[in-house]
Amino acid sequence: MAEVQPTRMELIKLRRRIKMATRGHALLKMKRDGLIMEFRQLLEEAKEVIGGMVQKYEKAQSKLALAIAVDGIVAVRSIALSCCQMPPEFSMKRKNIMGVVVPVIKREPVRKKPTERGYGILSTSTRVDEAVEAYEELVDAVLEVAEIETTLRKLIEEIERTKRRVNALEYRVIPTMEELAKFISFKLEEMDRENIIRLKKLKMKKGKS
Amino acid sequence: MIYRGNRAAWAYIVARTKVMKSRLMKAEDFRKLLNMEFDEIVRYIGETEYKKEIDELGYKFTGPRLLDHALYANLARTYRKLIEVSFGASKFLITRYLEKWDVWNIINIIRGKMANVQPEVIEDVLVPAGERDLEFWKSLIVRDIEEIVKSFEGTPYYEPLSKVGSEDISKIEDELYKVYYRELLKLNPTDFAMKLFLDFIKMEIDIRNVKTLLRLKAEDATVEEIISCTIPGGYELTEEEIRKLAAMPIDEMIKSLEGYWFWDDVQIKGKSVATAEIEFDKVWINTISKRASNYPLSILPVLQYAVLKKVEVDNLRVLGWGKYYGLPNEEIERQMVIL
Repeated sequence: MAEVQPTRMELIKLRRRIKMATRGHALLKMKRDGLIMEFRQLLEEAKEVIGGMVQKYEKAQSKLALAIAVDGIVAVRSIALSCCQMPPEFSMKRKNIMGVVVPVIKREPVRKKPTERGYGILSTSTRVDEAVEAYEELVDAVLEVAEIETTLRKLIEEIERTKRRVNALEYRVIPTMEELAKFISFKLEEMDRENIIRLKKLKMKKGKS
Repeated sequence: MIYRGNRAAWAYIVARTKVMKSRLMKAEDFRKLLNMEFDEIVRYIGETEYKKEIDELGYKFTGPRLLDHALYANLARTYRKLIEVSFGASKFLITRYLEKWDVWNIINIIRGKMANVQPEVIEDVLVPAGERDLEFWKSLIVRDIEEIVKSFEGTPYYEPLSKVGSEDISKIEDELYKVYYRELLKLNPTDFAMKLFLDFIKMEIDIRNVKTLLRLKAEDATVEEIISCTIPGGYELTEEEIRKLAAMPIDEMIKSLEGYWFWDDVQIKGKSVATAEIEFDKVWINTISKRASNYPLSILPVLQYAVLKKVEVDNLRVLGWGKYYGLPNEEIERQMVIL
Protein backbone atom coordinates (compact mmCIF):
# COMPACT_ATOMS: atom_id res chain seq x y z
CA MET A 1 0.00 0.00 0.00
CA ALA A 2 2.93 2.19 0.81
CA GLU A 3 4.29 1.75 -2.71
CA VAL A 4 1.21 3.30 -4.31
CA GLN A 5 1.42 6.95 -5.21
CA PRO A 6 -1.63 8.62 -3.69
CA THR A 7 -2.44 10.66 -6.75
CA ARG A 8 -5.74 11.47 -8.41
CA MET A 9 -4.52 9.71 -11.59
CA GLU A 10 -3.74 6.56 -9.61
CA LEU A 11 -7.18 6.72 -8.00
CA ILE A 12 -8.88 7.02 -11.40
CA LYS A 13 -6.86 4.04 -12.70
CA LEU A 14 -7.65 2.03 -9.61
CA ARG A 15 -11.38 2.78 -9.82
CA ARG A 16 -11.35 1.66 -13.44
CA ARG A 17 -9.65 -1.59 -12.41
CA ILE A 18 -12.16 -2.11 -9.59
CA LYS A 19 -15.02 -1.58 -12.03
CA MET A 20 -13.48 -4.08 -14.45
CA ALA A 21 -12.76 -6.60 -11.69
CA THR A 22 -16.34 -6.31 -10.40
CA ARG A 23 -17.69 -6.85 -13.89
CA GLY A 24 -15.29 -9.81 -14.36
CA HIS A 25 -16.35 -11.18 -11.01
CA ALA A 26 -20.02 -11.00 -12.00
CA LEU A 27 -19.25 -12.67 -15.34
CA LEU A 28 -17.20 -15.42 -13.71
CA LYS A 29 -19.98 -15.98 -11.18
CA MET A 30 -22.42 -16.32 -14.05
CA LYS A 31 -20.03 -18.72 -15.80
CA ARG A 32 -19.61 -20.76 -12.63
CA ASP A 33 -23.39 -20.95 -12.13
CA GLY A 34 -23.84 -21.84 -15.79
CA LEU A 35 -21.21 -24.58 -15.56
CA ILE A 36 -22.79 -25.94 -12.39
CA MET A 37 -26.20 -26.03 -14.11
CA GLU A 38 -24.66 -27.78 -17.12
CA PHE A 39 -22.86 -30.18 -14.79
CA ARG A 40 -26.09 -31.05 -12.94
CA GLN A 41 -27.90 -31.74 -16.20
CA LEU A 42 -25.04 -33.91 -17.41
CA LEU A 43 -24.85 -35.64 -14.04
CA GLU A 44 -28.45 -36.83 -14.41
CA GLU A 45 -27.67 -38.02 -17.92
CA ALA A 46 -24.47 -39.69 -16.68
CA LYS A 47 -26.39 -41.51 -13.94
CA GLU A 48 -28.74 -42.91 -16.56
CA VAL A 49 -25.94 -43.84 -18.97
CA ILE A 50 -23.80 -45.47 -16.24
CA GLY A 51 -26.86 -47.31 -14.89
CA GLY A 52 -27.56 -48.54 -18.42
CA MET A 53 -23.95 -49.64 -18.81
CA VAL A 54 -24.07 -51.59 -15.54
CA GLN A 55 -27.27 -53.31 -16.68
CA LYS A 56 -25.71 -54.12 -20.04
CA TYR A 57 -22.61 -55.45 -18.29
CA GLU A 58 -24.71 -57.75 -16.11
CA LYS A 59 -26.68 -58.91 -19.16
CA ALA A 60 -23.46 -59.52 -21.11
CA GLN A 61 -22.00 -61.47 -18.20
CA SER A 62 -25.04 -63.72 -17.92
CA LYS A 63 -25.13 -64.25 -21.70
CA LEU A 64 -21.43 -65.10 -21.67
CA ALA A 65 -22.02 -67.48 -18.78
CA LEU A 66 -24.75 -69.16 -20.81
CA ALA A 67 -22.58 -69.33 -23.93
CA ILE A 68 -19.74 -70.87 -21.90
CA ALA A 69 -22.19 -73.25 -20.24
CA VAL A 70 -23.68 -74.42 -23.53
CA ASP A 71 -20.72 -74.24 -25.91
CA GLY A 72 -17.92 -74.62 -23.38
CA ILE A 73 -14.95 -72.44 -22.51
CA VAL A 74 -12.95 -74.15 -25.25
CA ALA A 75 -15.37 -73.04 -27.96
CA VAL A 76 -16.00 -69.56 -26.54
CA ARG A 77 -12.30 -68.94 -26.11
CA SER A 78 -11.67 -70.06 -29.64
CA ILE A 79 -14.40 -67.74 -30.96
CA ALA A 80 -13.00 -64.89 -28.89
CA LEU A 81 -9.72 -65.38 -30.73
CA SER A 82 -11.43 -64.54 -34.01
CA CYS A 83 -13.50 -61.66 -32.58
CA CYS A 84 -10.52 -59.92 -30.96
CA GLN A 85 -9.09 -59.15 -34.38
CA MET A 86 -11.72 -56.48 -34.91
CA PRO A 87 -11.50 -53.70 -32.29
CA PRO A 88 -14.37 -51.15 -32.20
CA GLU A 89 -13.88 -48.14 -34.46
CA PHE A 90 -14.46 -44.58 -33.28
CA SER A 91 -13.21 -41.06 -33.95
CA MET A 92 -12.79 -38.16 -31.55
CA LYS A 93 -14.22 -34.68 -32.10
CA ARG A 94 -14.38 -31.61 -29.88
CA LYS A 95 -17.28 -29.59 -28.53
CA ASN A 96 -17.25 -26.28 -26.62
CA ILE A 97 -19.40 -25.96 -23.49
CA MET A 98 -19.00 -22.38 -22.07
CA GLY A 99 -15.34 -22.28 -23.01
CA VAL A 100 -14.62 -25.84 -21.89
CA VAL A 101 -13.43 -28.09 -24.69
CA VAL A 102 -14.97 -31.54 -24.21
CA PRO A 103 -14.58 -34.66 -26.36
CA VAL A 104 -17.32 -36.04 -28.59
CA ILE A 105 -16.80 -39.69 -29.47
CA LYS A 106 -18.18 -40.44 -32.91
CA ARG A 107 -18.91 -44.14 -32.72
CA GLU A 108 -19.20 -46.46 -35.63
CA PRO A 109 -22.06 -48.85 -34.83
CA VAL A 110 -20.42 -51.73 -32.97
CA ARG A 111 -23.48 -53.92 -33.58
CA LYS A 112 -22.74 -56.28 -36.44
CA LYS A 113 -24.63 -59.01 -38.23
CA PRO A 114 -23.59 -62.55 -37.24
CA THR A 115 -22.12 -62.97 -40.73
CA GLU A 116 -19.84 -59.94 -40.18
CA ARG A 117 -18.46 -60.87 -36.77
CA GLY A 118 -15.41 -62.76 -37.91
CA TYR A 119 -16.48 -66.24 -36.88
CA GLY A 120 -18.16 -68.90 -38.94
CA ILE A 121 -21.89 -69.51 -38.56
CA LEU A 122 -21.56 -73.25 -38.95
CA SER A 123 -18.99 -73.59 -36.17
CA THR A 124 -20.90 -71.54 -33.59
CA SER A 125 -24.31 -71.46 -31.89
CA THR A 126 -26.99 -68.87 -31.18
CA ARG A 127 -25.81 -68.51 -27.56
CA VAL A 128 -22.50 -67.22 -28.88
CA ASP A 129 -24.40 -64.71 -31.07
CA GLU A 130 -26.38 -63.59 -28.04
CA ALA A 131 -23.23 -63.18 -25.93
CA VAL A 132 -21.39 -61.30 -28.70
CA GLU A 133 -24.44 -59.07 -29.27
CA ALA A 134 -24.64 -58.30 -25.54
CA TYR A 135 -20.94 -57.39 -25.50
CA GLU A 136 -21.33 -55.23 -28.61
CA GLU A 137 -24.04 -53.29 -26.78
CA LEU A 138 -21.75 -53.06 -23.75
CA VAL A 139 -18.88 -51.64 -25.84
CA ASP A 140 -21.29 -49.02 -27.18
CA ALA A 141 -22.33 -48.14 -23.64
CA VAL A 142 -18.70 -48.00 -22.43
CA LEU A 143 -17.85 -45.51 -25.20
CA GLU A 144 -20.90 -43.41 -24.29
CA VAL A 145 -19.90 -43.46 -20.61
CA ALA A 146 -16.30 -42.58 -21.53
CA GLU A 147 -17.54 -39.52 -23.42
CA ILE A 148 -19.87 -38.29 -20.67
CA GLU A 149 -17.38 -39.05 -17.88
CA THR A 150 -14.61 -37.08 -19.59
CA THR A 151 -17.02 -34.19 -20.14
CA LEU A 152 -18.01 -34.26 -16.46
CA ARG A 153 -14.38 -34.39 -15.34
CA LYS A 154 -13.46 -31.44 -17.55
CA LEU A 155 -16.48 -29.49 -16.31
CA ILE A 156 -15.54 -30.18 -12.68
CA GLU A 157 -12.00 -28.95 -13.33
CA GLU A 158 -13.36 -25.79 -14.99
CA ILE A 159 -15.89 -25.20 -12.19
CA GLU A 160 -13.09 -25.53 -9.64
CA ARG A 161 -10.89 -23.11 -11.59
CA THR A 162 -13.72 -20.59 -12.03
CA LYS A 163 -14.67 -20.91 -8.38
CA ARG A 164 -11.07 -20.14 -7.35
CA ARG A 165 -11.05 -17.09 -9.63
CA VAL A 166 -14.41 -15.85 -8.30
CA ASN A 167 -13.26 -16.30 -4.72
CA ALA A 168 -9.92 -14.62 -5.41
CA LEU A 169 -11.71 -11.64 -6.96
CA GLU A 170 -14.41 -11.53 -4.28
CA TYR A 171 -12.26 -11.98 -1.20
CA ARG A 172 -8.82 -10.81 -2.24
CA VAL A 173 -8.41 -8.74 -5.42
CA ILE A 174 -11.47 -6.45 -5.22
CA PRO A 175 -11.27 -5.83 -1.43
CA THR A 176 -7.55 -5.03 -1.71
CA MET A 177 -8.15 -2.61 -4.58
CA GLU A 178 -11.06 -1.01 -2.72
CA GLU A 179 -8.88 -0.69 0.35
CA LEU A 180 -6.24 0.97 -1.80
CA ALA A 181 -8.74 3.31 -3.42
CA LYS A 182 -10.06 4.20 0.02
CA PHE A 183 -6.51 4.86 1.18
CA ILE A 184 -5.73 7.02 -1.85
CA SER A 185 -8.94 9.03 -1.56
CA PHE A 186 -8.28 9.45 2.19
CA LYS A 187 -4.74 10.58 1.41
CA LEU A 188 -6.00 12.98 -1.25
CA GLU A 189 -8.61 14.40 1.13
CA GLU A 190 -5.87 14.76 3.74
CA MET A 191 -3.68 16.55 1.24
CA ASP A 192 -6.64 18.78 0.34
CA ARG A 193 -7.22 19.58 3.97
CA GLU A 194 -3.48 20.26 4.48
CA ASN A 195 -3.54 22.63 1.51
CA ILE A 196 -6.60 24.49 2.84
CA ILE A 197 -4.97 24.88 6.26
CA ARG A 198 -1.71 25.95 4.62
CA LEU A 199 -3.60 28.51 2.56
CA LYS A 200 -5.50 29.68 5.59
CA LYS A 201 -2.25 30.09 7.55
CA LEU A 202 -0.68 31.99 4.67
CA LYS A 203 -3.73 34.23 4.53
CA MET A 204 -3.55 34.84 8.30
CA LYS A 205 0.20 35.69 8.11
CA LYS A 206 -0.55 38.02 5.24
CA GLY A 207 -3.34 39.69 7.28
CA LYS A 208 -1.06 40.23 10.36
CA SER A 209 1.72 41.68 8.30
CA MET B 1 -37.01 -103.48 -42.35
CA ILE B 2 -33.85 -105.06 -41.00
CA TYR B 3 -30.51 -104.61 -42.65
CA ARG B 4 -29.47 -107.88 -44.20
CA GLY B 5 -25.91 -107.00 -45.27
CA ASN B 6 -22.74 -108.30 -43.60
CA ARG B 7 -24.39 -108.69 -40.21
CA ALA B 8 -21.37 -110.23 -38.44
CA ALA B 9 -19.18 -107.27 -39.37
CA TRP B 10 -21.62 -104.90 -37.71
CA ALA B 11 -22.50 -107.13 -34.77
CA TYR B 12 -19.11 -106.63 -33.10
CA ILE B 13 -19.01 -102.84 -33.22
CA VAL B 14 -22.71 -102.55 -32.35
CA ALA B 15 -22.20 -104.82 -29.31
CA ARG B 16 -19.20 -102.71 -28.18
CA THR B 17 -21.21 -99.54 -28.69
CA LYS B 18 -24.17 -100.99 -26.80
CA VAL B 19 -21.94 -101.57 -23.75
CA MET B 20 -20.54 -98.04 -24.03
CA LYS B 21 -24.07 -96.66 -24.45
CA SER B 22 -25.23 -98.39 -21.28
CA ARG B 23 -22.65 -96.35 -19.36
CA LEU B 24 -24.11 -93.03 -20.54
CA MET B 25 -25.92 -90.96 -17.97
CA LYS B 26 -29.70 -91.24 -17.85
CA ALA B 27 -32.24 -88.43 -17.63
CA GLU B 28 -32.71 -89.10 -13.89
CA ASP B 29 -28.93 -88.74 -13.34
CA PHE B 30 -29.07 -85.26 -14.89
CA ARG B 31 -32.09 -84.37 -12.74
CA LYS B 32 -30.19 -85.57 -9.66
CA LEU B 33 -27.15 -83.50 -10.68
CA LEU B 34 -29.38 -80.46 -11.15
CA ASN B 35 -30.02 -80.40 -7.41
CA MET B 36 -26.32 -80.55 -6.54
CA GLU B 37 -23.79 -77.77 -6.00
CA PHE B 38 -20.86 -77.27 -8.39
CA ASP B 39 -18.31 -79.08 -6.20
CA GLU B 40 -20.69 -81.99 -5.68
CA ILE B 41 -21.17 -82.25 -9.46
CA VAL B 42 -17.39 -82.36 -10.05
CA ARG B 43 -17.04 -85.01 -7.33
CA TYR B 44 -19.89 -87.05 -8.81
CA ILE B 45 -18.47 -86.83 -12.33
CA GLY B 46 -15.00 -87.65 -10.97
CA GLU B 47 -16.38 -91.01 -9.83
CA THR B 48 -17.79 -91.91 -13.24
CA GLU B 49 -16.36 -92.47 -16.73
CA TYR B 50 -14.63 -89.09 -16.51
CA LYS B 51 -12.40 -89.98 -13.53
CA LYS B 52 -9.28 -90.57 -15.62
CA GLU B 53 -9.50 -87.21 -17.41
CA ILE B 54 -10.29 -85.27 -14.23
CA ASP B 55 -7.27 -86.85 -12.50
CA GLU B 56 -5.02 -86.24 -15.50
CA LEU B 57 -5.96 -82.60 -15.97
CA GLY B 58 -6.26 -81.75 -12.28
CA TYR B 59 -2.69 -80.43 -12.17
CA LYS B 60 -3.33 -77.98 -15.01
CA PHE B 61 -6.87 -76.68 -14.48
CA THR B 62 -9.23 -76.06 -11.60
CA GLY B 63 -12.96 -75.43 -11.13
CA PRO B 64 -15.24 -75.38 -14.17
CA ARG B 65 -12.31 -75.20 -16.60
CA LEU B 66 -11.09 -78.53 -15.29
CA LEU B 67 -14.55 -79.94 -15.88
CA ASP B 68 -14.72 -78.42 -19.37
CA HIS B 69 -11.35 -79.76 -20.50
CA ALA B 70 -11.93 -83.14 -18.85
CA LEU B 71 -15.25 -83.49 -20.69
CA TYR B 72 -13.69 -82.67 -24.04
CA ALA B 73 -10.72 -84.97 -23.32
CA ASN B 74 -13.11 -87.80 -22.47
CA LEU B 75 -15.13 -87.14 -25.61
CA ALA B 76 -11.93 -87.27 -27.68
CA ARG B 77 -10.81 -90.47 -25.95
CA THR B 78 -14.22 -92.11 -26.42
CA TYR B 79 -14.32 -91.23 -30.12
CA ARG B 80 -10.78 -92.50 -30.62
CA LYS B 81 -11.78 -95.72 -28.88
CA LEU B 82 -14.69 -96.04 -31.29
CA ILE B 83 -12.25 -95.76 -34.19
CA GLU B 84 -9.83 -98.25 -32.58
CA VAL B 85 -12.39 -100.97 -31.82
CA SER B 86 -14.04 -100.76 -35.23
CA PHE B 87 -12.77 -102.33 -38.44
CA GLY B 88 -13.62 -102.54 -42.09
CA ALA B 89 -16.58 -100.48 -43.29
CA SER B 90 -17.54 -99.37 -39.77
CA LYS B 91 -14.03 -98.01 -39.10
CA PHE B 92 -14.09 -96.18 -42.42
CA LEU B 93 -17.49 -94.57 -41.78
CA ILE B 94 -16.81 -93.67 -38.14
CA THR B 95 -13.48 -92.11 -39.07
CA ARG B 96 -15.08 -90.12 -41.86
CA TYR B 97 -17.88 -88.95 -39.57
CA LEU B 98 -15.52 -87.91 -36.77
CA GLU B 99 -13.43 -85.92 -39.22
CA LYS B 100 -15.61 -82.96 -38.20
CA TRP B 101 -13.38 -82.67 -35.12
CA ASP B 102 -10.39 -82.33 -37.43
CA VAL B 103 -12.20 -79.39 -39.03
CA TRP B 104 -12.82 -77.96 -35.55
CA ASN B 105 -9.09 -78.23 -34.75
CA ILE B 106 -8.00 -76.68 -38.07
CA ILE B 107 -10.33 -73.73 -37.45
CA ASN B 108 -9.04 -73.21 -33.92
CA ILE B 109 -5.39 -73.37 -34.94
CA ILE B 110 -5.92 -70.87 -37.77
CA ARG B 111 -7.90 -68.55 -35.47
CA GLY B 112 -5.20 -68.74 -32.81
CA LYS B 113 -2.40 -68.17 -35.30
CA MET B 114 -4.16 -65.17 -36.83
CA ALA B 115 -4.66 -63.64 -33.38
CA ASN B 116 -0.99 -64.29 -32.45
CA VAL B 117 -1.98 -66.47 -29.52
CA GLN B 118 0.61 -68.50 -27.60
CA PRO B 119 0.86 -72.17 -28.74
CA GLU B 120 -0.05 -73.39 -25.23
CA VAL B 121 -3.31 -71.43 -25.37
CA ILE B 122 -4.17 -72.90 -28.78
CA GLU B 123 -3.34 -76.37 -27.49
CA ASP B 124 -5.89 -75.91 -24.71
CA VAL B 125 -8.71 -75.47 -27.22
CA LEU B 126 -7.90 -78.54 -29.32
CA VAL B 127 -10.13 -81.62 -29.26
CA PRO B 128 -8.28 -84.52 -30.91
CA ALA B 129 -11.44 -86.54 -31.43
CA GLY B 130 -11.05 -87.00 -35.18
CA GLU B 131 -8.80 -89.04 -37.40
CA ARG B 132 -5.60 -87.20 -36.51
CA ASP B 133 -4.11 -87.42 -33.01
CA LEU B 134 -2.97 -84.72 -30.59
CA GLU B 135 0.68 -85.08 -31.62
CA PHE B 136 -0.22 -84.13 -35.19
CA TRP B 137 -2.10 -81.02 -34.01
CA LYS B 138 0.70 -80.09 -31.60
CA SER B 139 3.18 -80.26 -34.47
CA LEU B 140 1.00 -77.83 -36.44
CA ILE B 141 0.65 -75.27 -33.66
CA VAL B 142 4.36 -74.39 -33.70
CA ARG B 143 4.41 -73.76 -37.46
CA ASP B 144 3.37 -70.58 -39.25
CA ILE B 145 0.10 -70.28 -41.18
CA GLU B 146 1.61 -70.96 -44.63
CA GLU B 147 3.20 -74.19 -43.38
CA ILE B 148 -0.03 -75.26 -41.67
CA VAL B 149 -1.98 -74.67 -44.89
CA LYS B 150 0.69 -76.52 -46.88
CA SER B 151 0.43 -79.55 -44.61
CA PHE B 152 -3.12 -80.03 -45.88
CA GLU B 153 -2.03 -80.05 -49.49
CA GLY B 154 -3.63 -82.95 -51.30
CA THR B 155 -6.64 -82.99 -48.95
CA PRO B 156 -10.05 -81.46 -49.82
CA TYR B 157 -9.47 -78.84 -47.10
CA TYR B 158 -6.51 -77.34 -48.93
CA GLU B 159 -8.66 -75.28 -51.30
CA PRO B 160 -10.52 -73.23 -48.62
CA LEU B 161 -7.38 -73.12 -46.45
CA SER B 162 -5.33 -71.65 -49.29
CA LYS B 163 -7.57 -68.55 -49.07
CA VAL B 164 -6.40 -67.77 -45.52
CA GLY B 165 -5.13 -64.22 -45.49
CA SER B 166 -6.92 -63.21 -48.65
CA GLU B 167 -10.49 -63.97 -47.58
CA ASP B 168 -12.59 -63.43 -44.48
CA ILE B 169 -11.78 -66.17 -41.94
CA SER B 170 -15.48 -66.66 -41.10
CA LYS B 171 -16.18 -67.62 -44.73
CA ILE B 172 -13.23 -70.03 -44.71
CA GLU B 173 -14.56 -71.63 -41.49
CA ASP B 174 -17.98 -72.18 -43.06
CA GLU B 175 -16.34 -73.42 -46.24
CA LEU B 176 -14.34 -76.03 -44.28
CA TYR B 177 -17.55 -77.48 -42.83
CA LYS B 178 -19.15 -77.45 -46.27
CA VAL B 179 -16.14 -79.33 -47.65
CA TYR B 180 -16.46 -81.86 -44.79
CA TYR B 181 -20.11 -82.59 -45.65
CA ARG B 182 -19.50 -82.41 -49.40
CA GLU B 183 -16.80 -85.06 -49.12
CA LEU B 184 -19.07 -87.29 -47.02
CA LEU B 185 -21.87 -86.95 -49.55
CA LYS B 186 -19.47 -87.94 -52.33
CA LEU B 187 -19.43 -91.48 -50.90
CA ASN B 188 -21.13 -93.90 -53.23
CA PRO B 189 -24.21 -95.58 -51.73
CA THR B 190 -23.12 -98.95 -53.07
CA ASP B 191 -24.69 -100.93 -50.24
CA PHE B 192 -27.41 -100.42 -47.73
CA ALA B 193 -24.97 -99.56 -44.90
CA MET B 194 -23.63 -96.69 -46.94
CA LYS B 195 -27.12 -95.54 -47.83
CA LEU B 196 -28.10 -95.44 -44.13
CA PHE B 197 -24.94 -93.50 -43.37
CA LEU B 198 -25.61 -91.00 -46.14
CA ASP B 199 -29.22 -90.52 -45.02
CA PHE B 200 -27.93 -89.86 -41.51
CA ILE B 201 -25.51 -87.25 -42.82
CA LYS B 202 -28.20 -85.63 -44.97
CA MET B 203 -30.54 -85.44 -41.98
CA GLU B 204 -27.78 -83.91 -39.87
CA ILE B 205 -27.31 -81.32 -42.62
CA ASP B 206 -31.04 -80.57 -42.49
CA ILE B 207 -30.88 -80.00 -38.74
CA ARG B 208 -27.86 -77.71 -39.08
CA ASN B 209 -29.51 -75.84 -41.95
CA VAL B 210 -32.81 -75.30 -40.20
CA LYS B 211 -30.95 -73.94 -37.17
CA THR B 212 -28.91 -71.61 -39.39
CA LEU B 213 -32.07 -70.54 -41.21
CA LEU B 214 -33.84 -69.57 -37.98
CA ARG B 215 -30.73 -67.97 -36.52
CA LEU B 216 -29.99 -65.77 -39.53
CA LYS B 217 -33.65 -65.03 -40.26
CA ALA B 218 -34.00 -63.68 -36.71
CA GLU B 219 -31.10 -61.33 -37.52
CA ASP B 220 -32.75 -60.12 -40.75
CA ALA B 221 -30.09 -61.64 -42.96
CA THR B 222 -30.64 -61.57 -46.70
CA VAL B 223 -31.49 -64.67 -48.75
CA GLU B 224 -27.98 -64.73 -50.22
CA GLU B 225 -26.36 -64.43 -46.78
CA ILE B 226 -28.47 -67.34 -45.53
CA ILE B 227 -27.70 -69.45 -48.59
CA SER B 228 -23.97 -68.79 -48.20
CA CYS B 229 -24.10 -70.14 -44.63
CA THR B 230 -26.08 -73.30 -45.32
CA ILE B 231 -24.73 -76.70 -46.31
CA PRO B 232 -25.88 -78.11 -49.65
CA GLY B 233 -27.16 -81.68 -49.89
CA GLY B 234 -29.77 -81.93 -47.16
CA TYR B 235 -32.30 -84.75 -46.81
CA GLU B 236 -35.36 -82.61 -47.49
CA LEU B 237 -34.00 -79.08 -47.29
CA THR B 238 -32.47 -78.59 -50.71
CA GLU B 239 -30.91 -75.29 -51.73
CA GLU B 240 -34.09 -74.42 -53.61
CA GLU B 241 -36.21 -75.14 -50.53
CA ILE B 242 -33.90 -73.05 -48.32
CA ARG B 243 -34.00 -70.19 -50.81
CA LYS B 244 -37.80 -70.32 -50.83
CA LEU B 245 -37.98 -70.41 -47.01
CA ALA B 246 -35.36 -67.67 -46.57
CA ALA B 247 -37.39 -65.32 -48.75
CA MET B 248 -40.46 -65.65 -46.50
CA PRO B 249 -41.25 -63.51 -43.44
CA ILE B 250 -40.20 -65.38 -40.27
CA ASP B 251 -43.75 -66.32 -39.13
CA GLU B 252 -44.64 -67.67 -42.55
CA MET B 253 -41.31 -69.49 -42.71
CA ILE B 254 -41.93 -71.23 -39.35
CA LYS B 255 -45.37 -72.29 -40.60
CA SER B 256 -43.85 -73.64 -43.80
CA LEU B 257 -41.36 -75.74 -41.80
CA GLU B 258 -44.25 -77.79 -40.41
CA GLY B 259 -44.26 -80.24 -43.31
CA TYR B 260 -40.62 -81.33 -42.96
CA TRP B 261 -39.40 -84.48 -41.17
CA PHE B 262 -37.64 -82.50 -38.45
CA TRP B 263 -40.73 -80.59 -37.43
CA ASP B 264 -42.37 -83.37 -35.42
CA ASP B 265 -44.65 -81.00 -33.49
CA VAL B 266 -41.84 -78.71 -32.43
CA GLN B 267 -43.15 -75.74 -30.47
CA ILE B 268 -40.91 -72.78 -31.28
CA LYS B 269 -43.37 -69.93 -31.68
CA GLY B 270 -42.62 -67.19 -29.15
CA LYS B 271 -39.46 -68.98 -28.01
CA SER B 272 -35.91 -67.79 -28.51
CA VAL B 273 -33.79 -69.18 -31.36
CA ALA B 274 -31.55 -70.87 -28.77
CA THR B 275 -34.53 -72.74 -27.31
CA ALA B 276 -35.67 -73.69 -30.81
CA GLU B 277 -32.20 -75.12 -31.47
CA ILE B 278 -32.56 -77.40 -28.45
CA GLU B 279 -36.01 -78.50 -29.66
CA PHE B 280 -34.53 -79.49 -33.02
CA ASP B 281 -31.69 -81.33 -31.25
CA LYS B 282 -34.29 -83.35 -29.35
CA VAL B 283 -36.11 -84.19 -32.59
CA TRP B 284 -32.79 -85.21 -34.14
CA ILE B 285 -31.90 -87.53 -31.25
CA ASN B 286 -35.36 -89.08 -31.24
CA THR B 287 -35.20 -89.64 -34.99
CA ILE B 288 -31.80 -91.33 -34.91
CA SER B 289 -32.87 -93.44 -31.93
CA LYS B 290 -35.88 -94.68 -33.92
CA ARG B 291 -33.80 -95.31 -37.01
CA ALA B 292 -31.07 -97.06 -34.97
CA SER B 293 -33.62 -99.43 -33.45
CA ASN B 294 -35.10 -100.05 -36.91
CA TYR B 295 -31.65 -100.99 -38.25
CA PRO B 296 -29.88 -102.51 -35.22
CA LEU B 297 -27.06 -104.10 -37.23
CA SER B 298 -25.84 -101.08 -39.11
CA ILE B 299 -23.74 -97.96 -38.61
CA LEU B 300 -26.72 -96.14 -37.08
CA PRO B 301 -26.39 -97.46 -33.46
CA VAL B 302 -22.72 -96.38 -33.54
CA LEU B 303 -23.55 -92.94 -34.85
CA GLN B 304 -26.40 -92.70 -32.34
CA TYR B 305 -23.89 -93.40 -29.57
CA ALA B 306 -21.50 -90.76 -30.95
CA VAL B 307 -24.32 -88.19 -30.91
CA LEU B 308 -25.57 -89.22 -27.45
CA LYS B 309 -22.04 -89.03 -26.03
CA LYS B 310 -21.72 -85.48 -27.36
CA VAL B 311 -25.11 -84.61 -25.83
CA GLU B 312 -24.01 -86.04 -22.47
CA VAL B 313 -20.80 -83.99 -22.54
CA ASP B 314 -22.78 -80.88 -23.51
CA ASN B 315 -25.32 -81.45 -20.74
CA LEU B 316 -22.63 -81.94 -18.10
CA ARG B 317 -20.88 -78.79 -19.26
CA VAL B 318 -24.12 -76.80 -19.07
CA LEU B 319 -24.65 -78.17 -15.58
CA GLY B 320 -21.13 -77.41 -14.41
CA TRP B 321 -20.82 -73.90 -15.80
CA GLY B 322 -24.45 -73.10 -15.04
CA LYS B 323 -23.99 -74.03 -11.38
CA TYR B 324 -20.62 -72.24 -11.24
CA TYR B 325 -22.19 -69.01 -12.52
CA GLY B 326 -25.19 -69.45 -10.24
CA LEU B 327 -27.75 -69.74 -13.04
CA PRO B 328 -31.20 -70.82 -11.85
CA ASN B 329 -32.00 -74.54 -12.17
CA GLU B 330 -34.84 -73.85 -14.64
CA GLU B 331 -32.48 -71.93 -16.94
CA ILE B 332 -29.87 -74.71 -16.77
CA GLU B 333 -32.51 -77.34 -17.51
CA ARG B 334 -33.81 -75.28 -20.43
CA GLN B 335 -30.35 -75.36 -21.99
CA MET B 336 -29.96 -79.12 -21.60
CA VAL B 337 -31.08 -81.78 -24.02
CA ILE B 338 -32.85 -84.22 -21.71
CA LEU B 339 -35.13 -86.79 -23.30
